[in-house]
Amino acid sequence: MTITRREFTLGTAGLAGVASAGLLGPALAQSGTIKIGWLGALTGASSAPGIGFDRGLRYAVEAVNGAGGVKGRMIELVTRDTQGDPTKAVNATQEMISSVKVAAIFGPTNSGEALATTPIMARAKMPNLHPCVVNSLIDPRKYPNSFRIAPSNSQWDDAVRHYCLQVLKIKKVAVIGDTTGYGTTATGDSVAGFKKDGAEVVYTAQIDATQPDMTPDMLRMKNAGAQAIVAWSTSTGMAARLFNARAGLSWDVPFVGHPSLGSGEVGRLIDKPANWDRVYTVNYRSCSFDAQGRLPARTQKFLDQAKGKIDLKDTLLWWVLCGVDVVQLLAKAIETEGTAGPGLIKYFDGLTNYPGLFGDYTWSVTQHNGYPTDEVVMGAANSSKDGALNLAPGYG
Amino acid sequence: MAFGTLGSILVTGLAMGAVYALIGITYNLMFAASRVMSFTAGQLGMLGGVLGSLFALRLGLPLVPSFLLTLAGCAAVGVITEFIAVRPVLKNLDQHLYVLSTLAVALMIQQVTAIEWSTEPQAFPRLFGLGAGIYDERFWLPVLACALVVAFLEWMQRRTLIGRAFLAVAEDNFAARALGLPERNLRIASFALAGVIGALAGFAGGELMLAFVANGAQLNFYGFVPVALGGLGQNRGAVIGGLALGIFQQAANFLVGGIFASVAVFVVFIVVLLAAPQGLFGTSRMRRV
Repeated sequence: MTITRREFTLGTAGLAGVASAGLLGPALAQSGTIKIGWLGALTGASSAPGIGFDRGLRYAVEAVNGAGGVKGRMIELVTRDTQGDPTKAVNATQEMISSVKVAAIFGPTNSGEALATTPIMARAKMPNLHPCVVNSLIDPRKYPNSFRIAPSNSQWDDAVRHYCLQVLKIKKVAVIGDTTGYGTTATGDSVAGFKKDGAEVVYTAQIDATQPDMTPDMLRMKNAGAQAIVAWSTSTGMAARLFNARAGLSWDVPFVGHPSLGSGEVGRLIDKPANWDRVYTVNYRSCSFDAQGRLPARTQKFLDQAKGKIDLKDTLLWWVLCGVDVVQLLAKAIETEGTAGPGLIKYFDGLTNYPGLFGDYTWSVTQHNGYPTDEVVMGAANSSKDGALNLAPGYG
Repeated sequence: MAFGTLGSILVTGLAMGAVYALIGITYNLMFAASRVMSFTAGQLGMLGGVLGSLFALRLGLPLVPSFLLTLAGCAAVGVITEFIAVRPVLKNLDQHLYVLSTLAVALMIQQVTAIEWSTEPQAFPRLFGLGAGIYDERFWLPVLACALVVAFLEWMQRRTLIGRAFLAVAEDNFAARALGLPERNLRIASFALAGVIGALAGFAGGELMLAFVANGAQLNFYGFVPVALGGLGQNRGAVIGGLALGIFQQAANFLVGGIFASVAVFVVFIVVLLAAPQGLFGTSRMRRV
């Protein structure tokens, strides 16, 4: 067999390519950028939270890199748009683990996606932070790598129940949700919680979020003697129609519940601004104006620094703050433990009162719900300014 | 005037029933010209609301241009449907490939709208600002639109040459072609007209249903019920079936509520079809074997 000069040259070049990709790769990875995976629903259904988190993440990555990175290494955010689709989220997770080889993953941001991706990440021992609320997503024995960096649905539920029973001092509630899996589960949990605390649940129903007139359900709740309506739905259209139907019945019953009740979309769908009065939504102390119209000092300081750099007009402040916390927390963990997965998980397992912007996080080997329950409060839904809300009436 | 229970059932039921009836007519028009059940009918209704909101609210155009542009946009979608989803499968109607092709176009319309518009319901403009309570325009505009469409179709089919040509193609398109009628052009015109009527349903019902991408699937589903109840190709049957459906659905909302209302609607639907498979106003055709 004869080898021409051209074949020799091509073969040598090929070998050099393989060597640089395969053999020199790990060395480059040690000293190259730190890759952090970001799985967010940035388009399609339920993309509003993803867009908010994304703004916070990008701002924080720029800030960390601008300050010299983590021990001189730059952070690279590897983003995949999951569109709220569990299949796309699973594919992106596998790509992050097997191909991109990220140090840690933030997301997904929808519980439906996280239910599909969490076991995959657990098998790969991939450090994972996520803000999804479904309770079963956190189980340190099954998923020792997954940490929740936001409240669970139980914590939302506790805050809503506390506000109805202890602050509004009412005993008869109607609990409603939409017909999605989340709406059904959240309604069931909420009903059980109210009954456990001795309240009377006078009406409960799953409502089709697309039905154009909510008067039938509102009439039934009124006739049942409800003193407050607890609503669990991400549908802004359903919320607006409920508020319009309440106005049509001249009934001033308060609504308490899911953060979507305070979404800016609701404000554009209600017939008149007054229809949005007496609606109280889950919010957080870090994102609440007090009676004097002031935000907590830590939040205000951040907003002053980020002024003009992050658009807060059409998003919620907590999404942005949580995104910033994720990057800063990961940077701190990598600075302490390096990029190896077990080290990062060990770091998170020992985290106590880490002072984030969104809240102070504490995790342990047996508790991966890191957000403090007393930080979850209710806000006046129609008071949004830069993504923050006024504290609902009754808080000291 | 405050909403009474009966008043609320009637006004909301009639309004939604009129929207369903218009979507039923959209199905019928496309079917009559091509023998194809095009599952884009509901998406045309959805686009009527979305385009109306886009032109009037987002782009700030006056009402009349917004309305006309919405109708034109949906007519174009109707024509495109005929070209890409109907014409290629006409030779194999017995294989029912149109189910796949029209569903594919419907899904494309839905996905593009979700990505380019929003997945959340968006506001629809207040059109005339007339009425309040049960006399609010949001309740009577769809009924008025439905009445005008029915009157227009009756007039067109009875009094105009093109209307009679439509009827001829609907009756027997081979015979119509043999007589020299431009069957292909008439089919395109039918799909454009169906687009206009679908758009009208979404535009007139926009204040009630909002500009919401999920309305497409909803209207596809509930718009098909009056067609099946009234008999395929029977516009009068679709109107009566649609109004009955709207009122029954709203009454079920009051009586049983939530997801049970949908169950009640479909129980009645199945019972009616068991009793009269050809629809209440349809006729059985003899088939030579």
